[in-house]
Amino acid sequence: MAIRLSLDDKVHHVTILRRHPHLVLVIDGEEHEITRLPGPGDGRGTMSIGGHDVGFARATLGDRQVVRLGGRTFDVSRVDPFSKGGAAGGAQDALRAPMPGAVVTVHRQPGDRVVRGEPLVTIESMKLQTALPAPRDGVVAGILRAEGETFEKDEVIATLEPETEDA
Amino acid sequence: MTAPHFRKILVANRGEIACRVMRTLAEMGIASVAINHRVEARARHVRMANEAVEITGDTPVAAHLDIDQIVAAARATGADAIHPGYGFLSENARFAEAVAAAGIAFIGPDAATISLMGDKISARNFAEENGVAVAPSVMPTDDLDQFIARAEKIGFPLLIKAAAGGGGKGMSIVRSAADLAEAARIAASEAQRYFGDGRVYAETYVERPRHIEVQVLGDGEGGAIHLFERECSVQRRFQKIIEEAPSANLPEKLREDICASAVRLAAAANYKNAGTVEYILGADGRFFFLEMNTRLQVEHPVTEMITGLDLVRAQIEIAAGKGLPLAQADVTARGHAIECRICAEDPDRDFMPETGQVQYLGVPEEGWLRFESALDQGQKVTADFDPMLAKLVVHGKDRHEAVDRSIAALDGLALLGVKTNIDYLARVLDHGAFRAGELHTGFVSEHKEALASAAIPAATLPQVLAAAALGFREFQDLALGTPEPYAAIGGWRN
Repeated sequence: MAIRLSLDDKVHHVTILRRHPHLVLVIDGEEHEITRLPGPGDGRGTMSIGGHDVGFARATLGDRQVVRLGGRTFDVSRVDPFSKGGAAGGAQDALRAPMPGAVVTVHRQPGDRVVRGEPLVTIESMKLQTALPAPRDGVVAGILRAEGETFEKDEVIATLEPETEDA
Repeated sequence: MTAPHFRKILVANRGEIACRVMRTLAEMGIASVAINHRVEARARHVRMANEAVEITGDTPVAAHLDIDQIVAAARATGADAIHPGYGFLSENARFAEAVAAAGIAFIGPDAATISLMGDKISARNFAEENGVAVAPSVMPTDDLDQFIARAEKIGFPLLIKAAAGGGGKGMSIVRSAADLAEAARIAASEAQRYFGDGRVYAETYVERPRHIEVQVLGDGEGGAIHLFERECSVQRRFQKIIEEAPSANLPEKLREDICASAVRLAAAANYKNAGTVEYILGADGRFFFLEMNTRLQVEHPVTEMITGLDLVRAQIEIAAGKGLPLAQADVTARGHAIECRICAEDPDRDFMPETGQVQYLGVPEEGWLRFESALDQGQKVTADFDPMLAKLVVHGKDRHEAVDRSIAALDGLALLGVKTNIDYLARVLDHGAFRAGELHTGFVSEHKEALASAAIPAATLPQVLAAAALGFREFQDLALGTPEPYAAIGGWRN
């Protein structure tokens, strides 16, 4: 599996080359052996990459990962069209399903104020879970699919209230 | 006179300073009352307080500026004093008056002292009358042409300011007679727009000035002491971002002179409360009175760290009529302290405010560190309030150690989800000129290029990308070895 990441307007490629005996990632064409993997989720973690133990803190904001490492903060975003929730709709008021699947978790309820990139719902498609982020700052107008419900590609899963002057 | 004992105090503020005041109230066994707008109903200062009163307003800030509502809240809850914190109504004479009229103690000076020090011109005249040096200047008149003619006579460079101003609004530096008329007109119109008062004044501009301020305590009966000085020269947009105590490279005689001058002013004003007398200090050792802040200062913790005193406790005891907590001879300073203001802003885009949500907050814990904030993980940072999110205050045995510890603490601080100046502050502290104590209020612009974000080191880039890629759930599942059918469906094979 390959993932494309954008950092400071440059696109980088990260590919899983091998998993055994250690995970080997190809990052921008170079192999890096990861002998110790960080745990999942947000917060502090440690990994061993290229023989070095590296501590970091990380937070997920939809399609973005904010990584603090070596006293600096990096904002990395995923450029895969795969998880561009809402892109199909064009309008920034609707969050559309990027693929058919089922809702796993609803994170936000109608009336909640949300910021761009914040996960609204987590869906599962082809056994992969993906968080669908709010396409912009705003207030949730409706969540149209409950947990466990299925949907087709491009169906509207959630809507935001139209932008007003104070949004 | 018997000293009143406060049983309950309303904190007319929010955010880190409300939390900081309530911490001392809890230590003193005094009950606390918070005020909050609807949007901050679950804020930390509300959760910390023994009780809370919701206040309303067109905006959250308007609610916090509503004198009648706040006084009514204090009455309704039976508070016997109000602590105003800093900002909001802390230097509002009408507020102090309304609080006193309601039979409630105001933890601060009386309305007359606030008015005296709140107007730049009356404060300056008072300072001058009491032997406190002020910069040569021209007083404002309603006649702008006459003002320009007089300003020209004191020479250049000149600093033009709004008479009723603050926060850098309506302020400009004029370097030649040719630019004077236009600059004066712009300053007057800005002053009118921001403060509803178009009067401006001009004074000698000190090149490469340092901002030095003295912490004082006054008992309201002419007794006053100082708790040494702070240096607040590192500023952006005319606002402080790094403060320290004591100030670097200050000759002992000069320190004594500045501190003595501040005590003279506070004593002459029969000042009652903690207060700060601000000065500009030139490279030639001349210092001039800038203004007096009649409240607790944002950067008060650096003074607390070197003196071991609790300034909020001192304010409360003074307001209760218990006098000064100690004599001048008993005030001692130990080591060095530095405060960094953590702000939601982008230093690479001229420090523009940023918003977002605090997705993860990890604060290093050390005995020599104070992290003052009201932040919670998951909290949204909006444009409703000031962009300052927190203060990181560090103590060291000397300046060198305090700088190193501050950098280490900033490196270890993870505040993810909203862009901040954390990395920028570490670069300032690590800059050779900062380490050498070569400070002045133009530091940030003078070293702009050296302080900009550097390219990502070659060794760091793959580490960051690996950590980011593995942060995406589906990528990590595959990297960890998801059971084969899942991986196959995902279109990927080992």
